[in-house]
Amino acid sequence: MGLSVIWYLKEFCRGKWIKTLLFAKTAPLVDPPYFRGYPTLTGKECTHCLSCMMICPTPGAIEVLREGEKWAPKIYPGHCIRCGFCVEACPEDVLDAGRVLETQHRDNTSLSVRYQVTVNPDTCVRCGNCVVACPVNKEADPQLGASGTSANDEVIMRIERGNLWVLHNEKCTGCKTCETVCPTGAIRIARVAEGRQGVEE
Amino acid sequence: MTGMLQKMKNAVRSRSIHVAYVDTGSCNGCDIEVLACLSPRYDLEQYGIYVHNNPREADVLLVIGCCTPQWEDKLKSIWEKIPEPKVAIAIGNCPISGCVFNREGSYVNPPASKHIPIAASVPGCPPRPTEIIRAILSLAPTVFKDYEEKIR
Amino acid sequence: MKKTVDVAVPIGPVHPCWKEPIRIKCATKGEQVLSAEVELGYMKKGIERIMQGRPWQEVMFLAERVCGICSVVHNMVFIETMEAISGIEPAERAAFLRVIVNELDRMQSHLIANFSYCYTIEHETLGMYLLNEREHVMDLLERITGNRVNTAYMIPGGVRYDLRPDDADAVKATLDLLEKNITRYMGIFESGPMIALRSRGVGVLTKEDALRAHAVGPTARASGISVDLRSKHPTYRKLGFEPVVRTECDNYARIMVRFGELFQSIGLIRRALAMMPEGPVRGGGICKGGEVRYSGEAPRGELTYVVKADRYGRVEEIAIQTPSIMNIDACAHYMLKGALSIADVTATFISSDPCVACTER
Repeated sequence: MGLSVIWYLKEFCRGKWIKTLLFAKTAPLVDPPYFRGYPTLTGKECTHCLSCMMICPTPGAIEVLREGEKWAPKIYPGHCIRCGFCVEACPEDVLDAGRVLETQHRDNTSLSVRYQVTVNPDTCVRCGNCVVACPVNKEADPQLGASGTSANDEVIMRIERGNLWVLHNEKCTGCKTCETVCPTGAIRIARVAEGRQGVEE
Repeated sequence: MTGMLQKMKNAVRSRSIHVAYVDTGSCNGCDIEVLACLSPRYDLEQYGIYVHNNPREADVLLVIGCCTPQWEDKLKSIWEKIPEPKVAIAIGNCPISGCVFNREGSYVNPPASKHIPIAASVPGCPPRPTEIIRAILSLAPTVFKDYEEKIR
Repeated sequence: MKKTVDVAVPIGPVHPCWKEPIRIKCATKGEQVLSAEVELGYMKKGIERIMQGRPWQEVMFLAERVCGICSVVHNMVFIETMEAISGIEPAERAAFLRVIVNELDRMQSHLIANFSYCYTIEHETLGMYLLNEREHVMDLLERITGNRVNTAYMIPGGVRYDLRPDDADAVKATLDLLEKNITRYMGIFESGPMIALRSRGVGVLTKEDALRAHAVGPTARASGISVDLRSKHPTYRKLGFEPVVRTECDNYARIMVRFGELFQSIGLIRRALAMMPEGPVRGGGICKGGEVRYSGEAPRGELTYVVKADRYGRVEEIAIQTPSIMNIDACAHYMLKGALSIADVTATFISSDPCVACTER
């Protein structure tokens, strides 16, 4: 090494340097196949279970809309952060992004979510808004009382003897409609997620 | 003669663009993907696009980040400093919708089109350098085309 | 008779050398800088407030986007905090995969820090060489995790995807290429006379000042303080780990510490690939309640998460302490005092590798 002219001439006469100077090109403008892009539809049938919407971390990125007779999820590119959780959470493999679905089948991994209804007894005013707003309650008992009372034992929760009782926690689908109508923020749904490998569905 | 002059202006304006970028409060992911565009692998300067920070010499303003409260007046004043013809492009999800930060209780104020007029946007969190370059190359011939005819 | 006018020179928030908005106000006497003051606050989004009340699958993405340059380590430290609260052990193979992706992220962060420094002292050739090497590392990250930045690879109990055999071969081949190239570039940096003019003896932070200012990361290790939190992590202990320390205390030492850590990371990844056992990559585990304070080593220093979770794993209270606030403080109050010229202010500040997005979340 040094500052001699001979050294500089030897550096610039290397075959590799001349080849790069005359023939180098920048990389082609294509995305590689293993890049996790925006999720696309695979064509399988969507059953409107809404697991993809429940696990999405960004507000307004995915919605399940109806086109004619069929349901299909729709991704909004300006909001979606391309995390791939909706691809993993879907039980019917309706969405795919990059190599996520292929890896999920090869490794036998899954992302399962369980929903837990939690009520803060100090701030609950027993108004019954949550009972009336819950879509699962509406389907279970068409004759739901306006203040949240119900004679049916199949509802998730109801107002009885001046208190809110949660009867069937396992029926909750995690839509959080009760949270939006509660006046004090007493009822909150916990989406408890777990990533597992090697369990049979 | 006017047609020929306008054609020359279009040709020059689509091949030599000065870009000023401003970061209005982002996570820096889109910042380093713009820097990766300048690396020798995805060379952006071979198309005549020169990235710097000076609004007085810029044609295009790249807006990155969801607008935090400190930046609302400063973004407008930077936009007014840029001489005509000018255009603003939003990169990333943050200036379009606020990305994951757009929840109640945060200080951000998306979208950026509330504060300055945005002509185009590249979505993604962050967008890959190939996506940014594809978007810029498809915009370069059309964004300043026939500018004098349009504003007349 | 010439008169020196004492001016307060503001640098930033929009400046060719800064990638993020920050303002430094220097009080000068002629060309010499007497003292400097740093003004933050241009990037505050209130991330910790948004995180309250959310489960781990939403907080994980917010934690990653605190800083896009060191996003993998924020992901790793948050998930390890949640595992420490709930008593979950990650799967064996997953622990080594976490180390591999963490070290790849550290390599790309050090390469971009050194590129920033070379760009600031106007040595664009060397800067562009380093930025090109970074593209190889990003290719590897994309193959393993699916995304270049904000990878979202780690979850409680393990990682999301397994490593394929052809990806492991690509990692080994790229590491050999990187080692050869980075040795050459480090040689260029060490022996360049113009680089030495602007780096040796500039921005000196003595060991006593570094201890008083609580400097962390490569900034402290370049002043002779040997502290690195990776020597307390169980997986790194299995791989054998020693911190890289230098004693010159100036800009040159900080850049050389980062080059040294690049070679250290290459060695760690090679050993992890050799020692990785077969097995599942997700161990499962439900997040429970509790409160834990956990620290990890980010590329810029010590990163601490203090998390309190309720019974069902939702985050109730969270506090994040990032390394750059201490380094910026050490820079402004100790390194820039008595700097000989305003041109040294930008070079010194960038050599301490600030990440302003981390500092104000």
